Amino acid sequence: MQILIRLGKRILAGIVMVLAVASFTFFLVRLMPGNPVAAKYNELILRGMTPVQAMDQVRMMYGFMPHQPLWQQYLLYINQILHLNLGRSISYDGVPVIHIILGAAPWTIILVLTGLIASFVVGVLAGVIAAIKRTSPTGSVLSLSGSILHGIPQFVMGLFLAYVFTTLWVIFPFGAPYNAALTPGLNWPFISSLVRHAVLPVATYALSSYGGWMLTMKSSVITVLGDDFILASEVRGIKMSTQVKYIAHNAILPLFTVFALSIGFMFGGSIFIEDIFDYPGLGNLLLHAINSRDYPLMTGAFLLITAAVIISNIFADFLYSVVDPRIRR
Amino acid sequence: MAAEFEARDFHARGVQIRNLRVSYQTPQGDIPAVNGVNLSIAPGKITGIIGESGSGKSTLAMALMNTVPRPGRIISGSVVVDGIGDMLTIDKESRRRAHGRHLGFVFQASQNSLNPLRRIGAQVLDLGRSHNVKDLRALIKRAKELLGKMGLNADRVLLSYQHELSGGMRQRVGIMFALVLDARVVILDEPTTALDMLSQASVLQIVRQIHQERHLTTVLISHDMGVVADLADNVVVMYGGELAEQGSTEEVLAHPLHPYTQGLIKAIPRISGPLDQAVALPGLPPDSAALMAHGCLFAGRCPKRLPVCGESRPTYESVGQGRYVACFRVAGHD
Repeated sequence: MQILIRLGKRILAGIVMVLAVASFTFFLVRLMPGNPVAAKYNELILRGMTPVQAMDQVRMMYGFMPHQPLWQQYLLYINQILHLNLGRSISYDGVPVIHIILGAAPWTIILVLTGLIASFVVGVLAGVIAAIKRTSPTGSVLSLSGSILHGIPQFVMGLFLAYVFTTLWVIFPFGAPYNAALTPGLNWPFISSLVRHAVLPVATYALSSYGGWMLTMKSSVITVLGDDFILASEVRGIKMSTQVKYIAHNAILPLFTVFALSIGFMFGGSIFIEDIFDYPGLGNLLLHAINSRDYPLMTGAFLLITAAVIISNIFADFLYSVVDPRIRR
Repeated sequence: MAAEFEARDFHARGVQIRNLRVSYQTPQGDIPAVNGVNLSIAPGKITGIIGESGSGKSTLAMALMNTVPRPGRIISGSVVVDGIGDMLTIDKESRRRAHGRHLGFVFQASQNSLNPLRRIGAQVLDLGRSHNVKDLRALIKRAKELLGKMGLNADRVLLSYQHELSGGMRQRVGIMFALVLDARVVILDEPTTALDMLSQASVLQIVRQIHQERHLTTVLISHDMGVVADLADNVVVMYGGELAEQGSTEEVLAHPLHPYTQGLIKAIPRISGPLDQAVALPGLPPDSAALMAHGCLFAGRCPKRLPVCGESRPTYESVGQGRYVACFRVAGHD
C-alpha cells in the first residue's frame, strides 16, 4: 500500500515535470528564426491562390490560426497535450504528429535498444574481467580496447564500418532498413533482410557505447575490491565464483541508473547512425523536423524524449529499491 | 558430512611462525612491516599480540592466513598450523579450504565484513557451500546456536541485512562467521576497537566463554593493554615489525623487561586514581628510515638507552620459561 502511494506521488510529479518541459520547449522552439506557416502561405500564393484561399488552406492544414497571440497558442497546446493530442505536422502536410512518431519509433527501438543491451552486457563483463585482472596483459588489453572505442566518435565508427563491410568487403547491405523489393510482414525473407541491414548500425552503436560501460564498470569493481567485505570473504574461504558474484552485484548498482536513463534517451534516436545508414528512426525525424521548422513535430519529439526519460527515471528508482536492500524502507 | 560436525576434535592446534618477513612495496622502496618474526602460538591458549598502530600486528595476523593485501608481500618464512601445514606454501585450494574451516578470522573492521546486498542467513549458506558442507540445515542450526549464545535474536539476525544491525551486533555476527565451521584456531584482529565500552565488554566476555567451551587456540590482536591483560594467557609485544617481548600475562605485567613494555603499562589509564598517573610514551613509532637503520628500533624513544643501542639491534632471546626479550639492558645479552 505504502509503495503504491509512493508510486502514485512519483507519477504525479512526473506528469508535472513533463508539462513543465513541454511548456519550455514550446517557447524555445518558437524562438527559432523562420516562420513555417508564413512560408507555406507564401508558397500557396506563388502557386496562384488568392490570399483568402491560401489562408483557409493553411488553417485547414494545421488546425490553428497563425495570427493567434503566442499565449493563446500555448494554452491551446497544453490543452491538446492533456488530451494526448500532439497536433499535426507542418512538413508532412497535416499528418498527426503522433502517427509520424509512432511510425519512426520502432526503427530506433530496434537499433538503439539492441545496441544498448549488447554493449551493456559485453561492457559490464569486460569491465569485471579488466578490473580483476588489471595487473595482467589481459586486463591491460581490455582497458585499452575500452579507451580506444570510447574515444572514436560515433559517426567515424559508422563510416568506417560502412566502408569496410559494404565497400571493401561487400558482406552487408548499405542504406535503407530493409530490401525495398520485399513486402514488410512476418515472412522469412523480410525478417532476414531486416536483420542483415541492422547488423552494421547496431554494431556501430554497440561499439561506441561499449567503452563507456566497460570503463565505468571497471572503476566500480576496483572500488568494490577495496571494500572490507571482499577481503573478509577471502579470509572466510568463500569460493572464487561466489566472490566474483558478490563483487559484480555490488559494482553494478551505480550502472543501473545510467542504464535506465540511457533507455529513456534512446527515444532521442541516434542521429549520426540513422543518418549514415539511412534509418527512418526518431533521430532522422528530429533532424528533419528541425530543418523544416516543423514546430508540432519538434515539440512532439521533444515531449516523447522528456516523457521517456522521466518514466525510465521513475522505473530506475523502483528497480533500485529491488536490487539494493539499503534503499528499501 | 553431518557426522563431521558432531565428532568435534578437541585437540587444540598450535601455530609455529618461523622467520616471517612481510614488506609493503612503495615507490620509496620496500618497507618491512613484519621483520623476521619467530613465534610459537600455544595450543588451547589465548595469545595477545599488542603494539601501537603501524607496529605490524595486523599485518602479522593477515600473514598467518596468507592473505596479506596488496601492496604487502610475504618475503620469506613459514607459518605452520598443526594438522594443516605451512600456510605459505600449501596450494591455493587447500589454503582456501583452511580459511574459515580451520582458521577463523574476526576483522578489525567487522562492521563492514559482510556483503551489504545479501541477508546474513544467505551468506552463511554461501559459506557452507564454499566449504562443501552437505547438511546446510545443520549449519544454519549451528549459526543460530552461536548467535543465541551471544545474546542475539538468531532468527531475526539471519533474516537481516548488515545495515539493519548495530555495530556490536555486527561484530558478534563476525565472530559467528569465524566459528560456525568449527575452526580450531581463531584470530581476532582488534575485535573491539570500533565498539563502545559496554559492547566491548560483552564481546570480550563472549570471546573468553567460547574459547573455553571449544578449546580453541585464540590469537587476540589489540593496541589496548587493558583488553589483553584481561583476556590473554600469554602476551607478545610488537614494535616496528619485530617482537620486543613475550611471556605469560602475569609475568609481563608484573615484571616487564623491555623499556617499551614498561612504557605501555605505565600508559594505561585507570578509572580510579588520578588521570595523570597514566604516562604517555614520548616520541613516535619508528619511521622507514629507523626501520632500515642498524640500531635498536626503540633506541630513539628509550629512556634507558646505551651507546650500543644506536649501533646494533638486540637479538630476541630467551630469558626463562617462555619468556623472550630483545633488549641490551636485560641480562643474557652481554
